Amino acid sequence: MKCCDVEQVLQELLDGEPDIAFEGRSSERTVEMRRASSDLEAHLKSCPACSELAADLKLISSQARQLAASEEPPSRVWVRIAAELHAEGLISQPTPIRPVLVPTSAPRRWSLWWLAPVAAGLVVAGSYVVSHRPAPQVAQQTPATPVTNAATAPSPVPAPVPLPKTAAATPASVPAPARQQLAQKESKPAGLPETAAGQAVANAPGNEDQRAEDQQFLSVVSTLAPSARATYESELQAVNADIRETQAYVNRNPGDEDARQHLMDAYQQKALLYQIALDRIQ
Amino acid sequence: MQSRFRKTTIVTLALLTWLSAAGLAETRKEYRYTVGGNANISVDTQYGSISAKPGSGNEVVVVATLKSDSVEVDQQQNGNRIEIASHLLNGANEQTGQVDYELLIPPGSTLNLHSSTGALSVERLHGDLTLEGPDAVVNVRDVENGHVHVRTMRGPITLTDVRNGHVEIASISGDVHLKSVTGPLVQASTGSGKIFYDGDFGSGGSYQFTTHKGDIEALVPVDVSADFRAHSVLGRVHHDFPLQPKHSRFPVEVGRSFVGTTGLAASEVVLRSFSGRIRLKQR
Repeated sequence: MKCCDVEQVLQELLDGEPDIAFEGRSSERTVEMRRASSDLEAHLKSCPACSELAADLKLISSQARQLAASEEPPSRVWVRIAAELHAEGLISQPTPIRPVLVPTSAPRRWSLWWLAPVAAGLVVAGSYVVSHRPAPQVAQQTPATPVTNAATAPSPVPAPVPLPKTAAATPASVPAPARQQLAQKESKPAGLPETAAGQAVANAPGNEDQRAEDQQFLSVVSTLAPSARATYESELQAVNADIRETQAYVNRNPGDEDARQHLMDAYQQKALLYQIALDRIQ
Repeated sequence: MQSRFRKTTIVTLALLTWLSAAGLAETRKEYRYTVGGNANISVDTQYGSISAKPGSGNEVVVVATLKSDSVEVDQQQNGNRIEIASHLLNGANEQTGQVDYELLIPPGSTLNLHSSTGALSVERLHGDLTLEGPDAVVNVRDVENGHVHVRTMRGPITLTDVRNGHVEIASISGDVHLKSVTGPLVQASTGSGKIFYDGDFGSGGSYQFTTHKGDIEALVPVDVSADFRAHSVLGRVHHDFPLQPKHSRFPVEVGRSFVGTTGLAASEVVLRSFSGRIRLKQR
């Protein structure tokens, strides 16, 4: 058995545990499963990468089983969120654009699913900011310069972005083990960034959830080469600065639809950054 | 004197030995596949460049140059679908893990290329193209009738002579250069990068260029036929065209936006920036 074969059998074998998986199946199928299981075990003994992958998956599976049904939102919540994202054109059906044949860094594969829903969450957050701002009373023309009148500019400091909880923004397509792992990640602090840029991002003002997501992002990219890590940190810092700058302007000029669209665009840039990082590390 | 000569000779020999060793470590592999119509080809490498050109007939030729034995090439064919991926082994780094790919493919193939750091180059094809890479330098030339999707983090993107397809470009800080790019839909967005367009905006397409703080510059012929809208929230806008005024919901502020048409207004052109400068210039 080769590394690329492991993925095909690992999920099925680990999902049910052998005693459950074999129950009620035909004898031929049982023999086939047992053979695959023994081949897998032999491979896992000789391949540390796949062995670690198997251990990760087994842990996630076991943790997921311990989830009480009441702790998880009903499935209609995920379905509704996904439907809204589709309706707004913010997500589309996943297409197999670039299948990966063999993992280049298999041990990290299972721990990165949270990035995809976080990226989707960023887009949702941007959409929320753009669409839930109070509509201006009179706003056909936008002032050429930022308004500084205290009556119309209640907050000189960029207001925190009302990001929804990441878990709540997780679409239905995200498997339960990943959601469980995401919840675990939210409940425990991520590793601190090592560079000054990372520290600056981590210390930047903003919503708690946003900071937590940035911490997770920095924690993940910290596995990359130092130069790549510094680049991602720098780009994240720049994108966050763009978001803050645009948010501050929108706060002062809530009737400027174009500025609100730019705020949405800035969130999409951040989502793009997350997606690119996810692709890089997978 | 003699001592210096001896030292130079030793250094030279050592250098030659090292270079020849490095050369020997480089491996060239060639893969050939026969496909029917509408081949779908994916190439994914962590480090290294990928170039694709039209080949002959229904044959796909992939030449992979591996920089060391710390990396392997995984490849498989399932009917018309071909998947190629670099497989880093333990200890591989940006130098030793590099694989450069050269592809000769049927011109109508659907192509997906991904490289984290190398150049992605495509020319003279007319299938759908997806090119992605954080730092990849993307170069697409002489492509028509296919959709072109490009995504980078900070890698610059250059498209030249791209016609009659949907073009969608997204970058975080990479510059975007579009020369003679036309089609029913041309979208480019970048955060801090710049967008340069040199062309005539075709005859009936929708062109949308967006930056956050990067500049946008469009160089167009005087007989261009388009409906222009440009707005920079905090930056300046400028044009030297005799635009015909047009009523629009688009906010018009002198120095920060303009709206108007030229010719028959065949194409729609929207230029948007938050704080970058926008310039529309006659060629």
